[in-house]
Amino acid sequence: MTESPIFNELTSIVGGENASRDPETLESYAVDGVVPKIILFPGNIEQISEIMKAASQAGVSVVPAGSGTKKGMGNKPLGADVILSTKKLSRVIEHESADLVATAECGIALADLQSCLRRKNQFLPVDPPHVPGGATLGGIIAANDSGPLRLRYGTSRELMIGMKVVRADGRIFKGGSKVVKNVAGYDMPKLFVGSFGTLGIIAEATFRLYPVPESSGTYIASFESLDDAHGAVRSLIDSALVINAVEHLNPALAGTMAERLGFGSDFNRYTLAVRIMNVSRAVEDQMKAVMDITRGSGGKGFIIGAENEEAFWHEVREFPWRSSEQAGAVLKAGVLISDVPRVFLMLDEISGKYGIRARAAARAGNGIVIISIDGDGESVINSVKELREFSESAGGSLTVREASPDIKPALDAWGGMGSSLGLMKRIKTAFDPGNILNPGRLF
Amino acid sequence: MQSSTKETIERPPGWKKDFGERLTRILGRDGVIYADDELLAYDADALTGYRIKPLFVVLPGTSGEVSRVMKMCYEEDVPFVPRGAGTGLSGGALPTEEGIVISLARMNRIIEVDIPNERVVVEPGVTNLSVTNAVSSYGYYYAPDPSSQIVCTIGGNVAENSGGVHCLKYGVTANHVLGLEVVLPDGEIIETGGKTPDHPGYDIMGLMVGSEGLLGIVTRVTLRIIKKPETVKTLFASFDRIEDAGASVSGITARGVIPAGMEIMDNLCIRSVEEAVHAGYPVDAGSILLVELDGPRAEVDAQMPVVEEVLRGHNALEIRIARDAKERDLFWKGRKNAFPAMGRVSSDYYVQDGVIPRSKLAQVLGRIGELSREYGLSVGNVFHAGDGNLHPLVLYNSKNEGESEKALELAGRILGVCVEAGGSITGEHGVGNDKKRFLSLMFDENDLDTMNLMRCAFDSKGLSNPGKVFPTPRTCVEQGMKPYAGHPLHKAGLGEMY
Repeated sequence: MTESPIFNELTSIVGGENASRDPETLESYAVDGVVPKIILFPGNIEQISEIMKAASQAGVSVVPAGSGTKKGMGNKPLGADVILSTKKLSRVIEHESADLVATAECGIALADLQSCLRRKNQFLPVDPPHVPGGATLGGIIAANDSGPLRLRYGTSRELMIGMKVVRADGRIFKGGSKVVKNVAGYDMPKLFVGSFGTLGIIAEATFRLYPVPESSGTYIASFESLDDAHGAVRSLIDSALVINAVEHLNPALAGTMAERLGFGSDFNRYTLAVRIMNVSRAVEDQMKAVMDITRGSGGKGFIIGAENEEAFWHEVREFPWRSSEQAGAVLKAGVLISDVPRVFLMLDEISGKYGIRARAAARAGNGIVIISIDGDGESVINSVKELREFSESAGGSLTVREASPDIKPALDAWGGMGSSLGLMKRIKTAFDPGNILNPGRLF
Repeated sequence: MQSSTKETIERPPGWKKDFGERLTRILGRDGVIYADDELLAYDADALTGYRIKPLFVVLPGTSGEVSRVMKMCYEEDVPFVPRGAGTGLSGGALPTEEGIVISLARMNRIIEVDIPNERVVVEPGVTNLSVTNAVSSYGYYYAPDPSSQIVCTIGGNVAENSGGVHCLKYGVTANHVLGLEVVLPDGEIIETGGKTPDHPGYDIMGLMVGSEGLLGIVTRVTLRIIKKPETVKTLFASFDRIEDAGASVSGITARGVIPAGMEIMDNLCIRSVEEAVHAGYPVDAGSILLVELDGPRAEVDAQMPVVEEVLRGHNALEIRIARDAKERDLFWKGRKNAFPAMGRVSSDYYVQDGVIPRSKLAQVLGRIGELSREYGLSVGNVFHAGDGNLHPLVLYNSKNEGESEKALELAGRILGVCVEAGGSITGEHGVGNDKKRFLSLMFDENDLDTMNLMRCAFDSKGLSNPGKVFPTPRTCVEQGMKPYAGHPLHKAGLGEMY
């Protein structure tokens, strides 16, 4: 198999210098223990098209990869013969600042795209984890990854207006357009957000942008009880304030973070962080209102100094990936805004029951809870099971973002996909009849 | 191969009667419309130039009934066309001769108002405005505001991915729909999305929104509601040259201000509107630009002077800020009546819905002017300038030999200009039956093939709203058609539209 002519053919498409079959390199690209047979670094969309044509004819599996920061997401692939790296597709194709729109190749690191956009004082308002680790535009779209700012701006789903994709059969198509309002034809870009590389290779994407806000402020407050903290969340949501992020941290996470950032020892409690980004005066005015509201619910806190603000939000995004001695898992629950406290209570309960440690940050205005669990393998598996049962019975979902290798095979990454699963599979079959694109990763 | 209207199927004698009776067994006597004179009320949507009488119209009351009807249709190869309030402007709800119309008018309950979670769950026949009405006492509203919002339905909004005047800041329907119950063309009922965020798997919901009834029928919709802004301020500025109004729009966003709405009208529209509704617009101005800012008071207060500075820098003649809600409504009233007011100036008009990048506004306007002169037909220009959505109104007189055809051709040329400028053939009205021949201006064979791949996963028989959206070799519907001739609702002053 290793000397199969298909790999020579694939190599000749990109050129020898853009293909690797070196055993050590192959090992480093392994996905959940599945070692690829070749890594390809195409330099343009036409090469991707040639690769897909050849791969679909030969029936070899293809796993698209950006910088690999979300390699732990999804179920173990059924095959990963070819890793198609988008690393060399890293150009900003155009930035039309007057239209607040930019198009870029999908292998570009979000950080690089942002620094380009910042030259015109604009940005793409997505703040997923792993950006310092090189998270690429394509990876963020494919995983529909997001961060605290989604409260104000939505996820890449709301921001992407067009894309270019290479299908499994190698045909290149575009969906959407370069204007923010467009209803011509199906909204194909939406299908690819969260599709996890199973329907096609995303090669380019066009996004709507926002001006970089003049000023930013973050107020952090701790509360005597979970009820008090959630009461403050309720009041904030019900106000006319324009809030960029409301993060609700459980005591275990708030304590560790406060210690790391030198905020003092008062934070081993339920804690809210509220961020406002706007013109300076509107930040000041609204920060005062945030203080009043949180005080009304018994919150005690302070405005984080400008020198620490970015560091704080960095911690909120990245905390689950801080090294842990023990086996662990990173989870994402999606529940009703009003069910966030119940998730926190559930974490307390399973912590007591299984002796695990659970740190959690909730996007309290969205109903997303990011949970990091440390403990022995069996306990983590049981915890995931209980959390999933709870989330799904409450109409939500629980996905495993990452888990240590010893327990991952025992976990289903996605949980139930509900009554549309049959249709999803029909769509997958229509786009990828040979099941060569990231097979088994999603279903 | 794109799916198209089915060839006439040979039916055994008495088939129609039998089919009608089976429908009646599901829906009851009053759930099926057979009578010719009653069917006439369903032979067109607001694009009344196209008319086709369907076999039957059915009025299901539950998703179960919708499903049973669609299963029957699938078994018998009967095409079906979903219909809300019939306010669509692209012929999307135009019936097929061999098929039935499934009206969702009876499914008009608001199922749940959940303020703490900022969600409202409705049936598809609920009108757009009644969602806002259901939550406004809590300080909330539903953001997408197509101007037919007092009559148009949420189901129709979902099918068309409707916009309105606040899309630049608040997005379109797709950004406010969180969950759907859908009856797939073969009758299977599925749920996609829901009240909770980030469901794993493909975004079926995202595909459904804007799919113009080709992928199934939506029977329940979960919507996001948002808090009313603390303050709203509206101004208008007049200009000699419409190019200056256009340049102001890019100038404002370039300064980091995202207004809730920005609207431009040219002199022809200003004059006809002023005559119709007396909004206080200066009738000698070349154009006016309406700008609405909303949000926290401090933000609006800080941004208003920036906007004024930009407008002055682009040679604004007069800038007037609405002093109160009453004056603001008056400013908007003029804009919202731009289409009906055109009816006073011209016996017929044809409205387009192209989109262009904001920065190309001045250039595209110049080109539209050239085309207008070339064809000898007046074109009134009304735009959602913030998001680049143009509604050029081509004025013509259908009694003049060949003028209807000329108007259609000119309108098509304008869409070509929009696409060349990097835009779209439709921003909110949908492709429907009207613009399918222009879809290939934007999408090549691979793009269309991919859309069709997807459609086939939903509807292998191509029975759900067939013959719409995609260009087909069949042109029989297009032959003998007439452009937009005014919807009775608008003529009666009941519905405003954009």
